Amino acid sequence: MIPAKININFIQITTDFSGIITSVDAGEFAKKEFFVTTTIFDTCPFLEGTLEGLIIAESVLLEGMVIVSDNVEYNVDIELLKNENSVEVLILNRTNVYKIVDQLNQNRNDLFFVKREIAEKNKELDRLRKIADKANEEKSRFLAMMSHEIRNPLNAILGYAEMIAAETLNKNVEKYIKHLSYSGKNLKVIVDDILDLSRIEAGKLVLVNEEMSIENIYQNCEDTYKNQQKNTDVKLVFSVDKEIPKTILGDSVRLHQILSNLIGNAIKFTQQGSVTISATPVLTSNKEYVNILFTVTDTGRGMSKEQAVKIFEEYQQNKISDNRVHGGAGLGLAIVNRLVTAMNGKINLESELNKGTSFFIEIPFKKIEDKKLKNIAVSKTECSIKNKRILVADDDLLNQTIVAHYLKKQQANSTIVSDGLEALEKIESEVFDVILLDINMPNMTGEELVTKNKSFLKFNSTTPILALTANATKEDIKRYKKAGFLDVISKPFTSKKFVEKICSVLFS
Amino acid sequence: MIAKKVLLVGNFGVGKTSLIRRFVLNEFSEDYISTIGVRVSKKVVEYNNDSIKLMIWDVAGTNGNEKIPKTYFLGAHAAMFVFDLSREETYLTIEENLNMVKDLSGLKEITIVGNKKDLLTAEELNNVLNVVSVDVDLVTSAKENDNVESAFMKLTAQTLK
Repeated sequence: MIPAKININFIQITTDFSGIITSVDAGEFAKKEFFVTTTIFDTCPFLEGTLEGLIIAESVLLEGMVIVSDNVEYNVDIELLKNENSVEVLILNRTNVYKIVDQLNQNRNDLFFVKREIAEKNKELDRLRKIADKANEEKSRFLAMMSHEIRNPLNAILGYAEMIAAETLNKNVEKYIKHLSYSGKNLKVIVDDILDLSRIEAGKLVLVNEEMSIENIYQNCEDTYKNQQKNTDVKLVFSVDKEIPKTILGDSVRLHQILSNLIGNAIKFTQQGSVTISATPVLTSNKEYVNILFTVTDTGRGMSKEQAVKIFEEYQQNKISDNRVHGGAGLGLAIVNRLVTAMNGKINLESELNKGTSFFIEIPFKKIEDKKLKNIAVSKTECSIKNKRILVADDDLLNQTIVAHYLKKQQANSTIVSDGLEALEKIESEVFDVILLDINMPNMTGEELVTKNKSFLKFNSTTPILALTANATKEDIKRYKKAGFLDVISKPFTSKKFVEKICSVLFS
Repeated sequence: MIAKKVLLVGNFGVGKTSLIRRFVLNEFSEDYISTIGVRVSKKVVEYNNDSIKLMIWDVAGTNGNEKIPKTYFLGAHAAMFVFDLSREETYLTIEENLNMVKDLSGLKEITIVGNKKDLLTAEELNNVLNVVSVDVDLVTSAKENDNVESAFMKLTAQTLK
């Protein structure tokens, strides 16, 4: 006796070789579809052709076939056994099992297609990213090149402006030259910003980790901005908390750049009241690091929430007239933001329209062990290059004149030549205290000349050589030093910077 | 009337069910429903003045080199290997897969069909056909009813060899 539960899930049939049912032997499953003398192919079309392939006494299992009974589809497994005169067909209802298998199979295949789609989209994104990166690189290169091209004439503009300003002038010319210098300096800031931004974007910004003093940096800022600040309605207040270590490790040049940008902006947009610049240690500091919070607060025009959100984007200026009135390309804060990020710091701001703005910058700096502390000199010693023999090679007549003027003012003995070959001739026949070489010169470049060691042997074997160039990226400077230059005077330069640089190599 | 058992095999999602639906019912659906086990469709075709009843086995798609049960091929007269022209993984190891089908079925020749022609430009199609290491009998589009009839007629011819 077969239990009813099993009985309804199978049926056993015998057919002849052509598929005609000769007997229904056992089971109740889909019984309505199978009658003696009818063909089994009506319900099991898959057996048509298959029966022909059976081998006598060899059992065959067909899994996952589909039959229809009473308009309902069933998944069945079928066992076939061919005898001498007949075929035994055992049909097992496995619909419940196959329902689960079906679902799993569908899920597996769906997952495969989703995965494939994601992979394709990733590929496309990767392709687009590469195109964008390349375009960005091109842009940065273009900007760097253009900035360099601008630096040379800018050096002449600023140099001549400085020379004219030193002459006795009538009031009008004095006013005009002041404007000329101011605009020239603004242009220099923009060019520097563009170079900085393209350098940061190209991943070429390298921060140095040297001993520095926050107090010194603040003192420098205070000296610079208090001298520049002519608006007596705005008070500048600088303060450095005494708890901040005297010396820490960091990039003083870049920190100065960050603060200068913020202080410059605060002064620009404040007509009345104060600009307060402070530095305080943060409690989250630990044994190894000190977190310092730099705050620049002004009582200026402030900004709306919408403006504040966009303020760190490139070329962002809150009013269309800002560029005309205050100069700049709107890159300053974008650079500040990127520099702070590069220093593992955070920048935030609070602002209210017509009330003022506060910028908060928190940067971690590595502490220095007491025993390793060096004294950082605060003041620079004055130096003189009077009577020093200085050779200058530059093919640009305007630059020649500026350099000659600066040297004459310092009562130095200058020899000015127009290209590398002329300079070589002088080097082989005279002793100099310092040699200044432009890089891009006709006949022989500064870089070619500096490698001619034998020519220097007789008269100038120990003479310091400085490069005078507008190519002033870190990579350029590194290359020049490797070639044999002791240092670089980057264009555009002021007379003060020019003399300081010569002094630094003469008296170091 | 002669009945001939034919099988469609190939990776999952290459469009075997769609080709059969287009050929037998002249229907097409964008929905993808995976086939489990085997579904058999019938269609009578006229070939060389003979009526031939094709018993078309739609075998569940495989994943790479998964084996198809050998018993499915019992009494089979021909088989069609379908690959997706827009999916590299369905034709990169085609030679290996075809040999497996030949071993299991005992068939000497398999009709090779590249489906989903509608998803490729003429240039892309040429590139794919250059990559496929075996001779492709026909490229089809079940969606656009392109070459579907010809593919099954080719298969029918194969059953009579």
